[in-house]
Amino acid sequence: MTLLSQHTAPEQTRTVATAGPSAPPVLAVRDVRISDRVTEREIVRGVSFELTPGKAVGIVGESGSGKTLTCRAALGILPPHFEVTGGSVEIDGTDIATLTPPQWAALRGSTISAVFQDPASYLNPSIRVGAQIAEVVRVKKGLKRREARHRAVELLRAVRLSDPELVYGQYTYELSGGMLQRVLIAAAIAADPRALIADEATTALDVTVQAEILDLLAELRERSGLALVVVSHDLAVVAHLCDEVLVMRQGEVVEHGPTRAVLYDPQHEYTRLLIAEHDQYGLEKFLTPKEAS
Amino acid sequence: MVRRVLSLTSGRIAVVILAVIALLAILGPWLAPQDPLATSDNTLAAASGAHWLGTDYLGRDVFSRLLDGSRVSVLGSLEVALTALAVGVVPGILSVYLGRVFEWLTLRLADTLVALPFLLFAVAVIALLGNGLTQAMLVTGALVSPLFYRVSRAATLAVARSPYVEAALISGASTGWVVRRHVWVKVLPPIAVALAQTIGVGFVIVSSLTFLGIGVQPPAPTWGGLLASDLGYLSHQPWAPVPPALLIMVTVWASNLLADAIRDVSGEAGRTLADNRTVRANRLGKGRPVPAGGAR
Amino acid sequence: MTTTALQVVPARRRGAAAARTRHALGRILGVIARSIGIFVPVFLVATFVTFALRSLSGLSPARIQLGENATPEAIQRVEAQWGLDKPFLAQYGDWFTGVLHGELGVSWVNGADISTLIGLGLGVSLSVATFALVIGVVVGFALGTLAALRRTTWIDRAITGFVTVISVMPPFVVGIVLVAVLAVGLDVFPSAGYLPAEQGIGPWLAHITLPALALSCDVIADVARQLRTGLVAAHSENYVTGAVVRGLSPRRIFFGHILRNGLGPTLATLGLKFPALVGASVVTEWIFGLQGFGRFANDSAQAGDVPAVQGVLVVSIVLVVSFNLIVNLVLARVTPASQRGV
Repeated sequence: MTLLSQHTAPEQTRTVATAGPSAPPVLAVRDVRISDRVTEREIVRGVSFELTPGKAVGIVGESGSGKTLTCRAALGILPPHFEVTGGSVEIDGTDIATLTPPQWAALRGSTISAVFQDPASYLNPSIRVGAQIAEVVRVKKGLKRREARHRAVELLRAVRLSDPELVYGQYTYELSGGMLQRVLIAAAIAADPRALIADEATTALDVTVQAEILDLLAELRERSGLALVVVSHDLAVVAHLCDEVLVMRQGEVVEHGPTRAVLYDPQHEYTRLLIAEHDQYGLEKFLTPKEAS
Repeated sequence: MVRRVLSLTSGRIAVVILAVIALLAILGPWLAPQDPLATSDNTLAAASGAHWLGTDYLGRDVFSRLLDGSRVSVLGSLEVALTALAVGVVPGILSVYLGRVFEWLTLRLADTLVALPFLLFAVAVIALLGNGLTQAMLVTGALVSPLFYRVSRAATLAVARSPYVEAALISGASTGWVVRRHVWVKVLPPIAVALAQTIGVGFVIVSSLTFLGIGVQPPAPTWGGLLASDLGYLSHQPWAPVPPALLIMVTVWASNLLADAIRDVSGEAGRTLADNRTVRANRLGKGRPVPAGGAR
Repeated sequence: MTTTALQVVPARRRGAAAARTRHALGRILGVIARSIGIFVPVFLVATFVTFALRSLSGLSPARIQLGENATPEAIQRVEAQWGLDKPFLAQYGDWFTGVLHGELGVSWVNGADISTLIGLGLGVSLSVATFALVIGVVVGFALGTLAALRRTTWIDRAITGFVTVISVMPPFVVGIVLVAVLAVGLDVFPSAGYLPAEQGIGPWLAHITLPALALSCDVIADVARQLRTGLVAAHSENYVTGAVVRGLSPRRIFFGHILRNGLGPTLATLGLKFPALVGASVVTEWIFGLQGFGRFANDSAQAGDVPAVQGVLVVSIVLVVSFNLIVNLVLARVTPASQRGV
């Protein structure tokens, strides 16, 4: 299982991760504002966070709160007629506003990558999924065809797919949602990125599969020091993975802090509401008394 | 819908052109300044005040022949389109409701008709069943009818499986009522599009047949026939084929333009009705025409 | 961990490779089986209709051979000779068995073997049709791709305009224009006739270029339009975003991902286009004086030579059906998802 630790050994990673603010951030988002050019409305109003190697930042908020747009801005894939109107995003010390398309292409996949909700649609339906992973390895790592194929199978195994050889030759419509998300993750980490953005990556999956995917992400982070941005409307998902949480509402960050602090001592009313809802509707409430007795 | 089509510039242009052509077809013989059949010694003359578009190899007035010949083309293409409509639409709608056997039979039949090269068939039929354009147009119409069958079937299927029809059926509406109330509304626009397209196709077929001299007895003027006779005298009159060719092209273009206009207008209405789920389901199949006799 | 993996992998890989081959083979067989399942009934119905034409036409070899003033006895004798006194279904049975063996009967007019006659003309027609398809696909492909890449610019509008113009030009109009300009006016190409490829590729190409161009306009227009639509639609798909995020270059995304999915509708259109191409050969061969399949169809039809017309129709159906089979196979290879249960 050496595949993910090629550029950083696990021990190193842990130290880097705990070294905290002193390590240079992989991704730094500073007071980013995003506007819709057509309606001239500001959709995201000042989001800031820093992602150092091995760290995991969570963004929580209801749909339409601007969390996805923030991520897309960081990846340089804002939908048409949206643009960053203020603040800056730096990937590995470079301001993305200065990047040329070839520079972007070089950066994506190998420094920053992403997985999304509805994984089936983010993979080409006409190409075997394995070949799509091998393509990334070939292009980004300069591997030969055969080596790339070998490595793609390794990656599929690394994301805990039980029969990687078989999955390699299958098409998207032959795989389940959970398997597809694993494949998408394998493709995203194929070029050993240092930061991975998971945008609602577990939302459409059922609960057990969701837990497995979250474990997989945690494992990747542990093993290779992959920094994570986890976007979800579900506080539990974020709490499971992240050291730091941003709570967003209507384009603004209403609360930002270490996960524990936000969970146990929420300052903003909206955060309290989110937590209260979990207390009220979560399964824990029904289970605890039984187990106690 | 008519008003919405006319509100588009392209729709207006198309309708005006087609109206002019239709008017020519009705009034052509009376508008013709000279007898389209009268020969003269003034053969292969250039355009002049007396002969606006010159004369042909027998000295007949080209302009008059063009006007007189428009009726054959217009009638022929209308025959094709209306036959196709009559033959295709009803089985298309019924194929959704009359059970699997009927569905299978009609689908296979549609596959078969599409697989037949209709121009070849039209030629064969005219020759074998008698030299009349009407027979050939009826047969061609039948061969083109799968277009209408597919279009009406697809629209009906989409409606039949939509939640609001299911809801209507659950709340006790009869199939007949659903067809009258919901299906027609959805099926009509695509049929209108197909009709406009088929009229264009009909013009090409009539022109092709008359070009070959099939279906119309020689002295009678036709657009295709004019072109054919011009072909023999290209070295004397290289510009002679231009007027009939332009007339055919403009008519076909107007038909296509009308089809596009109707599609644009009805597509807008369709888009607001369609919810995201069906849009996503359609995406894979979008722009994918049903292959001829292909897998379904 | 490493050592066990090494031992396990080869065995697994062989198994998986075999499974994959089976998988691929199964997919192709599935496509073929489905296509045959559709085309067999198509063929049966089409040949039946074709055969029924004779009964409907009321034509008889006796009239052609004996003239209008033949005695009823003579007519009966000739018809018995041709087996036309048998019941309709028996006649169909005989004829259909012949068709399955590649025998299309003999001409009423001159008693020649129809298969041979059609075979003679088919070389000409297939040369022209294939060349037309090649021109149509290549030019249409270039135009459609360019329009999609430069969409909403003047290049896109110019291409769209050009495509609209050629799409409304029937083959015989294009044919006449080509003859007028390139053959009669500029004398670049021969205006009529055909030379087989054995007598030199150059003259062969020179003779089939104009008819092929005339036929190809329609194909160019359809391919260009369909490809543009397909590519523009594919461009806004999520998997393109996915590929962007993985850091692939725009060029690679276009050729490797978008083109592949945009191609499906275009291929399907080609399948639909083929019958029209076969049909249009009747007209183009007339214009360019080619003794091909279409000309043979026209001449036989005019002469009332029913077996010959039936033969022509059967051959055209076989052509269309096999072409569609090929298109379906290519489609299954290029866009496997579209073949699933649709």
